[in-house]
Amino acid sequence: MHIFVVEDEPVIRRELKILLENAMYQVTAPETFDAVSRKIQEARPDLVLLDVNLPEVSGFDVCTQLRMEMEVPVIFLTSRTDAMDELTGILKGGDDYITKPYQAPLLLARIGAVLKRTAGAKDKEAVRLLHKGAVLDISSCSLSFQGQNIELTKNEMKLLHLLFLRAGEFVARMDLIEYLWENQIFIDDNTLSVHVARIREKMKDIGIQDFIETKRGMGYRV
Amino acid sequence: MTVRSFLKDRCLLLILHGVCMCLLAVFLRLTGYGTANIGLVLIFWALILAAWMGTAYIQRRSYFREAEQILERIDKRYLLGELLPDSFRLEDKLYREMICRSNKSVIERIRRVEEEQKEYKEYIESWVHEVKAPITGIALVCENGRRKADTERTAVDVREAFGTVSLENQRLENYVDMVLYYARSEEVYKDYLIQETKLWEVVYEVLEKNRLLMIQNQVRVEAAAEELVYTDRKWIAFILNQMLLNSVKYRSEQPVFYIYTERGKNGVVLVLEDNGAGIRQEEIPRIFEKGFTGSNGRSHERSTGMGLYLCRKLCGRLGIGIRAESEYGKGTKMFLEFPISNYISR
Repeated sequence: MHIFVVEDEPVIRRELKILLENAMYQVTAPETFDAVSRKIQEARPDLVLLDVNLPEVSGFDVCTQLRMEMEVPVIFLTSRTDAMDELTGILKGGDDYITKPYQAPLLLARIGAVLKRTAGAKDKEAVRLLHKGAVLDISSCSLSFQGQNIELTKNEMKLLHLLFLRAGEFVARMDLIEYLWENQIFIDDNTLSVHVARIREKMKDIGIQDFIETKRGMGYRV
Repeated sequence: MTVRSFLKDRCLLLILHGVCMCLLAVFLRLTGYGTANIGLVLIFWALILAAWMGTAYIQRRSYFREAEQILERIDKRYLLGELLPDSFRLEDKLYREMICRSNKSVIERIRRVEEEQKEYKEYIESWVHEVKAPITGIALVCENGRRKADTERTAVDVREAFGTVSLENQRLENYVDMVLYYARSEEVYKDYLIQETKLWEVVYEVLEKNRLLMIQNQVRVEAAAEELVYTDRKWIAFILNQMLLNSVKYRSEQPVFYIYTERGKNGVVLVLEDNGAGIRQEEIPRIFEKGFTGSNGRSHERSTGMGLYLCRKLCGRLGIGIRAESEYGKGTKMFLEFPISNYISR
């Protein structure tokens, strides 16, 4: 996926580029903004992040020009927060409107959502994760092992999801908690331990032993 | 204007007439007129004087009554000079001109102050927008730094340092936001975008935004806000954010927050319940006052007494009810009451 970033603040531009590249996007971020809409047309990106306040031109105008030529999805980034601006952004054909200062996970989520909406189904995330013979089925929210099956709660499911995604390495407690918060599960450190204990209990029922390792002060590993 | 005060005002004239009448009586007596004749002359004089004074009194009274009524009716009282009833009297005219001149200077001054205030407000707004760029920059640098520290297994304190900067940056952001919303609170109508708002989305957004702060403080939150309301999302997010920050600030040892909605008689109520320090009963009525910090505000982190004041002000403009219930030492419940949302929505 190719994202075109139009942002005039050098620091923000640089950091956005790093952030998006880390999220496995291909990024183009020009440093000058003359004929920027032509540049975008030439680059043929999958998505444009467009700052509203650019030197000399307005992001809204860029969007208008762009819309006459192509149907690329546009997300406005702006530090202005009036309702009028938001409305203008949407009327000018923007697909989303994000105000500074934005939270990185939120930004990535909104980008993901717009891409999904416009590009149709991008490669779907794996629905089944396999590790040491245990299968985590995300669509049915369950875990199976040697033909036996247990239901998981949403919280347990998300927790295991991250552990499975990073199977083989220790995942810090902090990372787990943050990941859960990003998925609308707002728990604290103690609750995390409780959840892990519960998962272990459940695993025992279907004969999985010592599946989740604990390392004091570090985190968990599957 | 009473008869008495009117007569008092004219007392010099009355004395003059009295003296003249006496002198005339003496003069007539010396020139040989009879008492009856003198009496007749004096009675006529007195009658004419009384009639004159009477009409003058009635005229003056109606004039001032009219002026008084005009003053009552107009909302900008400093414009009285322009509206005073016409009068043939020189004094009235002179006073009127003077009032007009004085009013004009008042109006000019008000205009100037308004202009200054407007400019200041506009500057504050543009400043807030400008300062958000570096805040965004810092936030992104921290986010990338934290991720990099994760993947490259750098020392834990590097990651923590980024986390700390990020938290402080967020505090800064909140203070900046407060300035912006304060500047705008007078003119909410200019910045309204009433839309169908899913309360859970706002709640998640605010929790997400503060996740670092809350994870660090070991807060557990149970959020289930399943109602739709019609309101301005951005403002609600700001208000909720202030309330949440308060709950974090006055948290207990094991902080647990519950965020949920209730259907009241008059609409939807969003409740934020915490198990924190609570508010003293006698202080509850005052927590929404500007600059009120209370005993909690003094014993915990320094408090500006602006957060809840702004919340109430914005709620007032948005037509949302805000109130608090608390048990000291046990916790606080904050309520946001969205009126008749079910009436509009379904």
